[in-house]
Formats: sequence, C-alpha cells, structure tokens
Amino acid sequence: MLKTLRLSFSLKNTYRVNGILHSLKQIPLLGRLLPAALYQVRGLKIFANVLSILWEFVSIFLFKCIYFLTMVCGLGVLCRSAPSQLTFLHILLFLTLIGSYMNTSLFDPTRDKYYAMILMRMNARSYTLVNYGYALLKTVVGFLPFTILFGLDRGVPLWLCLMIPFCVAGAKLTVAAYSLRDYEKNGYVRNENKLQKFAWLLTGVLLALAYIPPAVGVVLPLEISAVLWLVWIPAGIVSLRRVVTFRYYREINQELLAQMFIQMDTVKKAAKTASEKAISADASITSRKKGFEYLNELFIKRHRKILWKSTTRIAGICAILSGGVLLLMLLSPGTKADINQMVMTWLPYFAFIMYMINRGTSFTQALFMNCDHSLLTYSFYKQPGFVLKLFQIRLREIMKINAVPALVIGVGLSLILYVSGGTDNPLNYVVLLVSVLAMSLFFSIHYLTVYFLLQPYTAGTEMKSGTYRIVMILTYAACYALMNLRLPILVFGAACIAFCVLYSIVACILVYKFAPKTFRLRT
Amino acid sequence: MRFIIEHLSKRFEQKEVLKDIDFTFQEGKIYGLLGRNGAGKTTLFNCLNRDIKADGGAFFLEENGVGREVAAEDIGYVLSTPTVPEFLTGREFLKFFLDINGSSIENPKSLDEYFDMMSIMPEDRDKLLKDYSHGMKNKMQMLINIIAQPKILLLDEPLTSLDVVVAEEMKQLLRSLKEGRITIFSTHIMDLALDLCDEIVLLSHGELEVVEKSNLDNQEFKEKIIAALKEETYA
Repeated sequence: MLKTLRLSFSLKNTYRVNGILHSLKQIPLLGRLLPAALYQVRGLKIFANVLSILWEFVSIFLFKCIYFLTMVCGLGVLCRSAPSQLTFLHILLFLTLIGSYMNTSLFDPTRDKYYAMILMRMNARSYTLVNYGYALLKTVVGFLPFTILFGLDRGVPLWLCLMIPFCVAGAKLTVAAYSLRDYEKNGYVRNENKLQKFAWLLTGVLLALAYIPPAVGVVLPLEISAVLWLVWIPAGIVSLRRVVTFRYYREINQELLAQMFIQMDTVKKAAKTASEKAISADASITSRKKGFEYLNELFIKRHRKILWKSTTRIAGICAILSGGVLLLMLLSPGTKADINQMVMTWLPYFAFIMYMINRGTSFTQALFMNCDHSLLTYSFYKQPGFVLKLFQIRLREIMKINAVPALVIGVGLSLILYVSGGTDNPLNYVVLLVSVLAMSLFFSIHYLTVYFLLQPYTAGTEMKSGTYRIVMILTYAACYALMNLRLPILVFGAACIAFCVLYSIVACILVYKFAPKTFRLRT
Repeated sequence: MRFIIEHLSKRFEQKEVLKDIDFTFQEGKIYGLLGRNGAGKTTLFNCLNRDIKADGGAFFLEENGVGREVAAEDIGYVLSTPTVPEFLTGREFLKFFLDINGSSIENPKSLDEYFDMMSIMPEDRDKLLKDYSHGMKNKMQMLINIIAQPKILLLDEPLTSLDVVVAEEMKQLLRSLKEGRITIFSTHIMDLALDLCDEIVLLSHGELEVVEKSNLDNQEFKEKIIAALKEETYA
C-alpha cells in the first residue's frame, strides 16, 4: 500500500517537475541561460520540487476556498430573505450532490493514471484504491477549515460543520460505488468528463434547486437539512466496502484511459479540423483577381463566417447600446449631466473595449492555420517582395474589418456627447471619432506586425515563441491599465492619435526591414 | 551547374549537429541522403532552405564557373507531410502559383495539362484541398515545387507514406525531372535510395561523404553503407 502511494507520488512529481522545468525553458532570455541538460541540474530539480509540493497544497485548499467564496457564499449573498445558516447548508448540499458525480476522481481519465497503469503497468487495483483514498482524504482535509470558518460564521452548529466534510466524501463514495455496480451489471464505464444528457439535465435541476428556492426565501429546515447531510455517512461506509472489494479496476481504467489516449492524440487534429471547419464549402465563391489579391479575396470570402460575421454582429451590438443610451437620455433627461461627464473623461476606457472587440488574433490565427501554415513551406511564398505585398493586403483587410465597429462606436459616442449636452469645443467630436478609429488602426497593425515579426507557430501548428506570448500579455495588461485612467477627451485623444500614428509608422518600418527574414515557420 | 556547400556548421546549444559540411553536388544527378535518426538530415535541409540560420559556412550555385547566391526561388523543398492551403481548390492553388510566378516559368502549360501530368483526376481539380487525400495533397505539393523548375530540389522522406501506385508515379516523375537540376532526396529506405539515386551520400558525424559503389553488387553496397552508418553512435 505504502509502496504504491510512494511510487505514484514520485511518478506524478517527476513529470510535474519536468513540466515546470520545460516551461522555464520557454521563457525568453531565461531559457537561453538555462543549460540544455537542465533536467539533470540538482538545484533546479529541488526548486521545481518545492513548486510542485506547493501546488499540491494549493490544490487542496485554494480551490475549495474559491469554491466557498463564489459558489456557496458569493451567490448565497443574493439570497438574503432566508436565514443565512440554512441558506449555506441548502446551497452546499445541492452543490455537493452535483460534485458527487461531476468530480469523482475515480472516473476522471488523467495523465497520471495513464502513465502509471497503462505505460508503467502498475497494479490497477492498488493504484486506484490508494489514489482514490488520497483524493477522499484531500476532500475532507480541504473542506474542513472552510466548513468551520464559513459555517460557524453563519451560525451552523459546530458538530455539523465537523461532519459535513465526511458527508461530502460519503456522497462521492456512494456515487462511485453505484457506478462500479453499474459496470458490473451493464459493462458501462462512466467518464466524468463526458457526461450523458441525463446527467446534464440532473445538473440543471440540482443547480436550480440550489439557488432558486433560497432566492425566493424558501430553504430546507435545519432538521431535514441535517438528515439529508448525515445520511451520506452510513451510505458512504456501506459503499466503501464495495469500492474496496471491486475486482475490475484494470478493465475499467483500460477502457477509460483508452478514450483518453485517443484524445491526447487527437488534440492537434481537433484544432486542425476546427480551423478547417471555418472554411466555407460554398462552391459559388470565386475571384476574378490575380496573384496575391486573388489569394486574399478567396481567403476572406471563404472565411467570412469568422471574420466578417462577428465584426458586423459586434457593430450591431454597439449600435444598439449607443441607441439605448440615447433613448435613456431622452426618457430621463436627469441622466444627461452624468453621461456627459462620463463621455468627456472615459475615453481611455475605450482602449480596453477596442482591445476586446478587435479581430486581430482570430484573423492572424486563421491566416496561419488555414493559409500560411502550408504556404510558408513553399519557397516562392517567402520571397521578400511577396511577404511585403502580403502584409499590405492583409493590413488593408484587417483594418477594414476592425473599422466597422470602430466607426459605429465613434459615431455613437459623438452622438451621445451631443445629445447629453454637447461641449464647448467642437474639436472634441472630431477627436472622439478619430481617436477611436486610431485605436482600431493600432490594434489592426499591432497584431499583424507581431505576427509577421515573431511568427510564433511551427509547421505542426504548435505555438513556440515565449516572446509572442509575452507581447500578447503586455498588450492586455496595457489596455487593462488604461481602464483606470480618467482623462479629458482632448488630452487622451490627442495622445492616443499621436501614439497610434507613430506606432503604425514604426511598425511598418520594422516589418519592411525584418519581416522577409522573420516570417518563416518556427523549427 | 554545381551546388557547393563550404564548411557549413550548425549547433543546438552543446550539440554539434552539422560540423563541417563540405560538398559539391553535380547537375543532373539524384543524390540519396542517408543518415541515422537524429543525424541532422532535416537540419541540413532547413539550413539550405534558410528556415534556420546556419552558424557558419556558405553555400552557393556555380554556373559556368561563376558563383552566385542561392535565391529562394532556386530551391524547391518537398516535405514528408504534404502541406497545402486548405481553403483553396487544387485549380485555384495552381492558378495562384502561376499568377505570381508566371514570368519566370519557361513554356508554361495550361492548368489542365499540369493536372494531367500529375494524374490528378478532372473531378478532383475543383475540390477544396482540405478534402484531398494524402496522396493527392502530396502530388499537389510536388507539382507546385517542380513547375518553377528550381535548380535544387530537396525532398525529405517524400515517398514513405504513399501507396505503391502513387509512389511509382512519383519515382518516374523524379527520374524525368533530374536533367538540368540537382535533386537531393533523404530517406530511410535503402532499397528506394539504391533504386532511384545516382549517388549515395551519408550524413554522419556532422559531415557529408559519398559512398563509392565502384564495382560492388547491390548486396555488398548495402553492407558497406550499413557498416559506415553503424560507426555513428546516435540512437
């Protein structure tokens, strides 16, 4: 028993540690400093081991904490009409029922299990039982502090707080035992990641039972609640016997993990088919153009679904929202002053909105997956003149795509500004419209430039550039930070326009200088 | 015409994959490039195709005694897994290619003549490439790579996953194409190399060397090649 536990831990730990070392190697600069033989370096190994153990603790407590803060207490706050003690027990009970079949650990096809039981041929029964026991222990230990902390705070009796973690484990055990019996009888192997329709329906019903009655002030009385909780303890004890004596763990796991193995193999294929699905099969699509314009027109037309449909939808939503605000001001003129104030100072906020709605990432991704991924393997495609020609054409296209919602937002904002009382300086209208357009131009150029300069994918469509990831994160962080900025339209607008224009010029120069060399498949 | 590689080297961190490649390829020949797994065949191709930067050395084309830089359009590189732009039909891909390369192609043919040459059936020509079979994608890739008549044709394990009929068609095609260019063909299948190639070149210890056939029969020649490759200690 102990040996199995030790072995399965060291196996899990080994690949976790290697995983950590591998991701360290992906970080630019740092990766270059690390030796190729980093998997041998003792110091690094110890460091990664510490991280790995920390992660184990985090996984015991942190997720439970988040679970209590959001699902149980967070949403529970909405149900103020019922006593908080009963609401807490009520919601937690129904969520536990859902967890008992959605989060079993026994029927979760994981990599650890695959490595241990299939590749290493460990004894399936003892491996499963030891790890299942450990998972249940983690559940109890992880739940205990939070049931006490949050439970006592809401006036749940201490004895019940102490019992609840065991009830949760009991519920899980009962469902596990039932599923094992189902296998013995019908040969059906459950996979908790592939629930059947019935299970989804049940989840919907249980979720509704968890939140709707408390929201309208109806909760289970303490006695009934306590009984419904405690019943899982004897049920769990009875089930434990079945789980321990069950004889077909190898069969079950082999079937469960066989599906998983196929999945691992097909993840890449799935990404490929997903991007191929975006290609329109409409045979009437043709083009009369020539050369790269021909290629581009066919690409845009056959990818209309992911490029233009979503951008027109976003533009439509923006139009409706602007219309809504205009209507609000007409119906209750008292809001005008506030809205005017907002529009005058909230322009930086729109940097983030423009970030969210721009189609840059999906455009470059589709470009790579369905077009450049293959064409970059042909040398004619990589001739410097052609790379630049392609950049021009694509920049034009992505600018068009992003400009539609930007135009709607710009016009909408100007209208809102006008209706809400206007401004002393008519230049504000112009700056408003132009700066929103400039932002859309910025995002168009930004994504395409980064794509042409860093081209992060390999021929196997694997993302391989740490720098690319970091640039993406920085873009997000910068836009997010701008949200907290409150500046008058003229100040921010002028700065924004200047920045966007400058950036665009620099970006184009960089592309012209470097893209013919950098626009390649990663190896 | 000769294709000359001088002291080409490439290392990945500590590992010296290409040590000192020094070799001259002659026009009109098919070279079979043999090497153990991990010997660096793909790395060599990637360096020649400028997909990765070599650490040192040079390579150039010599025509009529005058050396010149190898341009992108001089090289055709056929990968083992065929990659074609899925959103185009076979005909559109070919038309696009001819549109942008038209001026540099000597006596261009009509689209259908090219398809006929590769025995791609009329009913398949207007299908999206994503719906092509593996063999057809391979033919399409080969077609695009040979239309422009590149001076150097690099083929990385091109016939291994094709059915016997297509593989035979491709072999015939390669033989018919060898005049006026240098074909370098990497493979693990010795019989294929012996059948198709005029010279056998080994990549071992990061260097290229010719295995002389002299007056050996096929069996003895094979044994000689294996003996030479066994010296290499790659796994």
